[in-house]
Amino acid sequence: MKRIYQLIVVVALALTATAFAQDQKVIGVSIPAADHGWTAGVVYWANQAKAQVEEAYPNLSIIVKTAKDPAEQANQIQDLVTVNKIDALVILPYESAPLTKPVADVKKQGVFVVVVDRGLTDPSIQDVYVAGDNPGMGRVSGEYVAQKLGGNGQIVVLRGIPTVIDNQRYDAFMEVMKQHPGIKVLDAQYANWNRDDGFKVMQDFLTRFPKIDAVWAQDDDIAVGVLRAIQQANRSDIQFVLGGAGMKEFVKMVMDGDPLVPADVLYPPNMVDTAINVAAMHYVSGSAVLGTYIVAAPLVTKDNAAQYYFPNSPF
Amino acid sequence: MQPESSLHPVPRRRARIRLSAFGPLLGLAALVALATALNPAFLTIANIFNVLTRTSFIGIIAVGGTFVIIAGGIDLSVGSMAALLAGSMILVMNALAPTLGGGWLTIVVGMLFVVALGALFGLGHGLAITKGRIEPFIVTLGTLGIFRSVLTYLSEGGAITLQLGLSNVYSHVYYGSFLRVPIPLWVFLAMAILGAVLLNRTAFGRHVQAIGSNEQVARYAALRVDREKIVTYMIQGVCVAVATILYVPRLGSASPSTGLLWELEAIAAVIIGGTALKGGSGSVPGTVVGAILLSTIGNVLNLTSIISVYLNAAVQGVVIILVAFLQRGREAR
Amino acid sequence: MISVGFEGIGKDFGAGPVLDDVSFTVDAGEIHALVGENGAGKSTLMKILAGYLPATSGRVLLGGVPTEFRDQREAEAEGVVLIHQELNLVEDLTVADNIFLGRERRRRGFLDERAMHREAGALLRRVGLDVDPWTRVRTLIVAQKQLLEIAKALARNAGLLIMDEPTASLTPAEVERLFGLIRDLNGRGVTILYISHKLEEVLALAERVTVLRDGRYVETVRAGASSRQALANLMVGREIAAMFPEKLLQDRGSPLWRVRDVGVPGWAQRVSFDLQRGEILGFAGLVGAGRTELFEGILGLRPRSGGHFELEGRRLRIHHPADAVRAGIVYLSEDRKGKGLHLRLGLAPNLTLMALHRYARPLLRRDRERAALGDAMRRYNIRAGSPEAVAGTLSGGNQQKLALAKVLHTEPKVLVLDEPTRGVDVGAKQEIYRLIQHLAAQGLGIVVVSSELVELIGIAHRLIVMRGGRVTGELGGEGLSEAEVIAYATGVKETHAA
Repeated sequence: MKRIYQLIVVVALALTATAFAQDQKVIGVSIPAADHGWTAGVVYWANQAKAQVEEAYPNLSIIVKTAKDPAEQANQIQDLVTVNKIDALVILPYESAPLTKPVADVKKQGVFVVVVDRGLTDPSIQDVYVAGDNPGMGRVSGEYVAQKLGGNGQIVVLRGIPTVIDNQRYDAFMEVMKQHPGIKVLDAQYANWNRDDGFKVMQDFLTRFPKIDAVWAQDDDIAVGVLRAIQQANRSDIQFVLGGAGMKEFVKMVMDGDPLVPADVLYPPNMVDTAINVAAMHYVSGSAVLGTYIVAAPLVTKDNAAQYYFPNSPF
Repeated sequence: MQPESSLHPVPRRRARIRLSAFGPLLGLAALVALATALNPAFLTIANIFNVLTRTSFIGIIAVGGTFVIIAGGIDLSVGSMAALLAGSMILVMNALAPTLGGGWLTIVVGMLFVVALGALFGLGHGLAITKGRIEPFIVTLGTLGIFRSVLTYLSEGGAITLQLGLSNVYSHVYYGSFLRVPIPLWVFLAMAILGAVLLNRTAFGRHVQAIGSNEQVARYAALRVDREKIVTYMIQGVCVAVATILYVPRLGSASPSTGLLWELEAIAAVIIGGTALKGGSGSVPGTVVGAILLSTIGNVLNLTSIISVYLNAAVQGVVIILVAFLQRGREAR
Repeated sequence: MISVGFEGIGKDFGAGPVLDDVSFTVDAGEIHALVGENGAGKSTLMKILAGYLPATSGRVLLGGVPTEFRDQREAEAEGVVLIHQELNLVEDLTVADNIFLGRERRRRGFLDERAMHREAGALLRRVGLDVDPWTRVRTLIVAQKQLLEIAKALARNAGLLIMDEPTASLTPAEVERLFGLIRDLNGRGVTILYISHKLEEVLALAERVTVLRDGRYVETVRAGASSRQALANLMVGREIAAMFPEKLLQDRGSPLWRVRDVGVPGWAQRVSFDLQRGEILGFAGLVGAGRTELFEGILGLRPRSGGHFELEGRRLRIHHPADAVRAGIVYLSEDRKGKGLHLRLGLAPNLTLMALHRYARPLLRRDRERAALGDAMRRYNIRAGSPEAVAGTLSGGNQQKLALAKVLHTEPKVLVLDEPTRGVDVGAKQEIYRLIQHLAAQGLGIVVVSSELVELIGIAHRLIVMRGGRVTGELGGEGLSEAEVIAYATGVKETHAA
């Protein structure tokens, strides 16, 4: 697993070696419910990590809970503390702001907190932060598009749902575009990380713009719809579509050398697996684990696709 | 009381102008004019077919919704139902492919299955509402959650994808044309005509209107109110199934985001089309215009960039309210 | 004490005048009745007086002062209260809530439920309505709701009380109690304006009677110096023949419909009767005696315990109203607006609703529906502005004729009519009586449930009297007198063992 990430680990070894490894410890995992592909991947990897960690360390038990909105998640972590008596909490917050206070409360009760992907508004709460790199994802995407087009061409952009994550990706992408005046971004519209909206928005882009050189779809679900729309319109001007996140079907297409899908940019849902492992390490290594891990957004190409292909994951 | 005099005229057939779709039609015409001015590409055949074809899902569902709403009910579950039907249909076809082959036979069996399943879901709604005496809002709000989570469970949160071979054959249903007109449009047209005839020209349609207009009076007129209400929910289920049959070949997959918020779009189409939310009266052509209007708004927004993308939903809201206002003017007349 | 003067009142809704130059006066402290056929403009005039509608021309004087109320709240503040013909109650609130609606008693900002309960209880006792103030209005029967309306008006300290058809669904005993109440109020200085179709009531109650016809003032007469016939002639503008047609009974010997041992939980026990071909069978009793509920039970409109039916000698099972209609038994509800007609639908769809299968082959033949409507309008003398009108725009009498036409459209053998002339003017009443008699002469069996004894005695061949859900008496021929019926209805006499 570790080789997937370029981990920039800022590990601070604790001064005190905490409790002995043989104590029974409970790790609570709170993540969003599987309501689209990426979160489905998160749920899958959380359960994978649970199985693997529990087998390796019999003194650890892991409870995985999913929530369908921030309010439910806040209730859930309260329950994890009061009912399940967890020692550590691994949380992928549904949204940053509404969950900051609840997590702070948990922290006050002495729980070891690992935050994944979306940071809390107050970073001092977390013991460990396993961060997804959204600006990095936008930047890597932008650089790839610019390089592939040789600095010249017209592109369209499909965005996700209006959120901080989407803004970070989009802004970083556009920052790169500024350095390439030869590339014109014709328009950007929201496609809500959703296949059907990807299809509709792309259909309309195709109607509106007679010549499109490339599409940045940002997300593989959106890209599914984009590819269908291009196929239906029978357009040959589009050189490639760049998705994102690392859906297994897309990694496979990259692996198989699909001309329209030469690459993908990873935003791996298995960062939750890393986080659970980090929490486990805190108890089994005998020394406290602290700091920030940034899970980078590497570019997947034909050459390295095989190592990112997990056919058993739902995503 | 024998014929008394000739003072009372025999009712004569009067030229009655059907104005039921007037408000939304006006809105649609204005929108089309605006869109064409902003981007001439709007009025190309290809774009018009794009818009109408993507309208067909919501449109067909809304035709069914017209019956439910006229009868005084509501079905909030249609979006989730579409997702679950799509997922079930794909699973069934994938499972049948090894025995029935990767061709039309499997697909037709899949279609029949999904229509039967849609009707069954509708039957369930109808029974819970009439025999179980639970408010339709609550019943279908419940199944809205149930359908979608069953689909999410079946797909483990990811996508349920149709086998490539089947997908290639089946994709003709969405992407193919007949007489140069996309097949989904033909189906939409057929469902709309069928719906209009059923509503206006059959005893069943009249009964539906009578029940929605005043259920007590209908009961005292010895109509089989429960049975007719159940049938409206079954029609809704079948319409969702037909929409699903057109939807599956588009992407060849179903995921937890399939059909998200379709229920609101479908209900909005019905109401914009002039059907009273409290039931009793409405028209299928109005619903069709309402559905087209809704998807045209999205199309126009994608074709232009004069309005910040952050305000897309606001534009849709304004147009919906404006059309409702035109509708109100017609009612008050 | 409030006196009223109308000076040249006109009202036009845009389709010709509804009221045209109406002038007359009501003295302070008088009981003044207003009569006229439906559509004569009585209700419109009263709505203008009570602030519901503005007049197009003319003015209203209250106590000699020209007054124009902007709405009914203003009118009520001046003590002018109108009790509507259509009940104006919030069905899902309690009796007390309705009485105090808009004028709730408060204590420290919160509703003072106990005070309202207490005051409501006192008001209910005054109108003789024996229900708990916390009862939901929905559970009351029509007559009780009417009494509640009166209690509600009393709560408003009315100085001028306008009552629009208050006795439409009251039994004779209740009417007597109401009249006592009105006289009592009048004795305390309340001016009463009383609108009714029931001329005998008007003559018994009022000091003076004003007649309106087609939106115009006709005449004001002293009640003591007039008669029913005279008033009726003034209302119609021509001499009208005797109210009830001559009774004809062609006894065919065999019972058409045999009903045995019907029970309706909470309403009726072990009711049996026979109906012959060509017979008009009246059902009398006080409101709440279970007559309506009995027939709703028989027809499958409410739960029933037991019951055995034979139609033309054959066993008949009725689980749903449709079973009854298919066998040829139809029921016309007492509640025309709530259960009888689709007010928002057109005339033709109303007419054909119960017999649509005849027009569907499989598509509906709308031209035939229209032809059927034309036929029915002629045959039943239904007057409508246009055949395309919706049923709600017809006058009460024409609505009732349409409702009758609707059930007759199924070509029934047995017709059950519940309060067939409620809220209907004199002319339409007479037409309906003739129609009933005409249908009976053609061989239909007809059951008439009515609270108007005069009507039952006038048209029925035989009367069954119910009390407390049981049949207490059966009267025919010589026994048909009001006193006799009342004796059975009130429990003074009883012939059938329980």
